[in-house]
Amino acid sequence: MHLVTGGAFQGKLEYAKNAFGLADSDIFECSEDCAPDFNVRCICHYERYVMYCMRAGLKPKTAFPEDTVVIMDDVFCGVVPADPELRAWRESCGRALTACAAGSKTVTRLFCGIPKRLK
Amino acid sequence: MTIFISGGCKNGKSTIAEDCCAALACGGPLYYIATMQAFDDEDRARIKRHQNSRAGKGFITIEQPRDLLGCLEKSDPENGTYILDSVTALLINEMYSPESFEADKDAGRRTAKALEQFAKSVKNAVFVSDFIYSGAERYSSYTIEYMEALALCDRTLAACCDAVAEISGALPTMYKGELPI
Repeated sequence: MHLVTGGAFQGKLEYAKNAFGLADSDIFECSEDCAPDFNVRCICHYERYVMYCMRAGLKPKTAFPEDTVVIMDDVFCGVVPADPELRAWRESCGRALTACAAGSKTVTRLFCGIPKRLK
Repeated sequence: MTIFISGGCKNGKSTIAEDCCAALACGGPLYYIATMQAFDDEDRARIKRHQNSRAGKGFITIEQPRDLLGCLEKSDPENGTYILDSVTALLINEMYSPESFEADKDAGRRTAKALEQFAKSVKNAVFVSDFIYSGAERYSSYTIEYMEALALCDRTLAACCDAVAEISGALPTMYKGELPI
């Protein structure tokens, strides 16, 4: 699998589309409110899926097929939120990213549209 | 040469940007594009700190809180070295006005275009922005709109500048090119 991370609006999806040749139909945009469809090549806004798992009492899936691209906002950076649910979410996202990164062939962070390969 | 610098607050971005300008100027005029409008004592103190930090570095200050391209006719773009500190303040001035609570929804696109045009029109320029995109806090749609517009400005500059650096603890991490210092 391939992992793409970075701050909000940094061009992660656009990078992933170009780097991995993804069409719009290859991309699933996760929601906090419903179960994801993982039968796609690209899982976008994985951090929302982490919130869905927390609320449903599930452990987030962190292992995906070899050609899957996972995109995640780095919500674990920044100030600790006052809201307990957001605090727990922030930590769950950090743990999930670390687990995803360990199993990924490539890990890329986007900074203002520019990719930097971390792995 | 054009340089785009971003990173967290109080991490030395302005000092590094000013040092880059001094290294690039080669005897040509140095321009400081002042974007911040003071509304209270905190603003005035921040402006004073920045003025003190660049005192003696030979900058000519151009007050240009909005309409960036307007400063070209007040200066010598063919020979000049400019510092824009910051893209963040410029966009705030373009997007919001003291008279209205409504954001100008076209400000991001318009400012990004002006920044690109400016970068292509001057000999040297260093652009300073702020990295505000990471965190778990739920912002209002008002704030998210601003973040998205600033990100468009940042990505546009990062794409067209010769060097792109993230500053942390006054140390640069390079994403493109090299700094002249």
